[in-house]
Amino acid sequence: MKRSELIFQSIALITLAVAFILFWNFSKGVSFVENGTLFDATVTDSYSVLQENLNRMIPILLGAILFSVAIAFYLEEYLARTSWKYQIIARQIAILASIPSLLYGILGTYFFVFKTEFGSFFTHALTFVLLVLPITIQSTQRAIRGVDISVREAAYALGAKRRHVIVHHVFPHAFSTIMAGIFIAISRTLAISALIIVVYVWTEHTPQSGDPFHIPGSVIVLLLLSLLSSVLSSFLEAKTNWS
Amino acid sequence: METNNRSIETQNLSLWYGDFQALIDVSVNVPAGKITSLIGPSGCGKTTLLRCFNRVNERYGNVTTKGEIKILGKNIYDPDVSLLELRKTVGMVFQRPNPLPISVYDNILFGLRIHSPFGSLTRAKSDEIVEEALTSVFLWDDLKDKLKTRATSLQLEQQQKLCIARLLPLKPQIILMDEPCSALDAKGTLAVEELMSVLAGTYTFLIVTHNMAQARRVSSECIYMFLGELIEHRETQALFETPEHPKTADYVQMRYG
Repeated sequence: MKRSELIFQSIALITLAVAFILFWNFSKGVSFVENGTLFDATVTDSYSVLQENLNRMIPILLGAILFSVAIAFYLEEYLARTSWKYQIIARQIAILASIPSLLYGILGTYFFVFKTEFGSFFTHALTFVLLVLPITIQSTQRAIRGVDISVREAAYALGAKRRHVIVHHVFPHAFSTIMAGIFIAISRTLAISALIIVVYVWTEHTPQSGDPFHIPGSVIVLLLLSLLSSVLSSFLEAKTNWS
Repeated sequence: METNNRSIETQNLSLWYGDFQALIDVSVNVPAGKITSLIGPSGCGKTTLLRCFNRVNERYGNVTTKGEIKILGKNIYDPDVSLLELRKTVGMVFQRPNPLPISVYDNILFGLRIHSPFGSLTRAKSDEIVEEALTSVFLWDDLKDKLKTRATSLQLEQQQKLCIARLLPLKPQIILMDEPCSALDAKGTLAVEELMSVLAGTYTFLIVTHNMAQARRVSSECIYMFLGELIEHRETQALFETPEHPKTADYVQMRYG
């Protein structure tokens, strides 16, 4: 299957799923948003939900992106693949990345939200970092490895230093792939947050308006953001072309 | 041959990739201002030897080198040797044309920019350098209106010539070529060979080739290698017509390889 086809089909599927959820929710006659932000029932309109989430997400997100890109560049460009440092870090990251994101979501909810006294920003950050970093580091590593060796050789043979090669060639080349990986990770995080909230709401709250499968508005906002993020990722992935 | 006429000299050069010995006691003298070709069957160490001369081999971990390599009389493993200066002096052209995926103009200037202090290259000076480099490789007429084009979108022949052109602003003394024509068609091969012959007086060329006809056409001296050892190094015509070593004879008379 051609890549463009694949992208089109996945976007179509996701859109269909979201449309179904939206339709289902509205058809039950439920107001668009109830149960407010994540676990806080005081915020009740969708704009505030969005704003609240973005306010929390953006600083964490920027920090996480910079951190993961830096780690990936350190691993790929500054460490030999056979060195013990590379082996240890890369293996740990691989293990973390292979754990299903649901486990992180439950861990985050249970441990960070209910069992500790940390501030909300900090708990969000910790969960987010655990969930997102391994994935973004790995996708950035793959993006860096994807830069054709001939480009590096050409630059090195002209006397370029490592920083020239990274700044002028590897980074610009790998940029869209790196961003695609980051958006995938964000999309995954948002989707898993939505799932956790649904479970939480279903188990902790008595059904409102007689609907046992009530979906809170924050979930819809999260799913929409998740969809947007995957679409962005697909576009960025498609943009990466090797000449 | 005069000693001062030699641009590359090695003494008992051995190289290992991990446990595998890729070069065994290679001692060679490459004359200045001429084209010397390195021939031999695949895996005989030609490319490895070539890559020793600008120390690009070192980028791959696990490489051990023993012996001495002198470029223009200076041992390149001396602690005071700057790798950047070495690579400026010894340019390299690769098997597959590998222009950087930036514009033609920026390709030519990339090397110079990283070796010059920031802001020291004026626009007028840059334009002049680009024109000069492209003219030397006979590309100026074709590309003068395409300077902003991405170099990777050019024809392969133009790309390979551009790869040669981008070395010239750095004023190298030696140009190493690793099968520079293997990705080109007959016309492209001819064009690159002609270019080498024109530039030969100014630069020393060391070229790895699988194409024996090409070695005969372009080079004045020829080195035959086999399983990591240097078997024979003579004038090209003599090596092909009256090889001294039976292994060379087998190879050049196509009984082997």
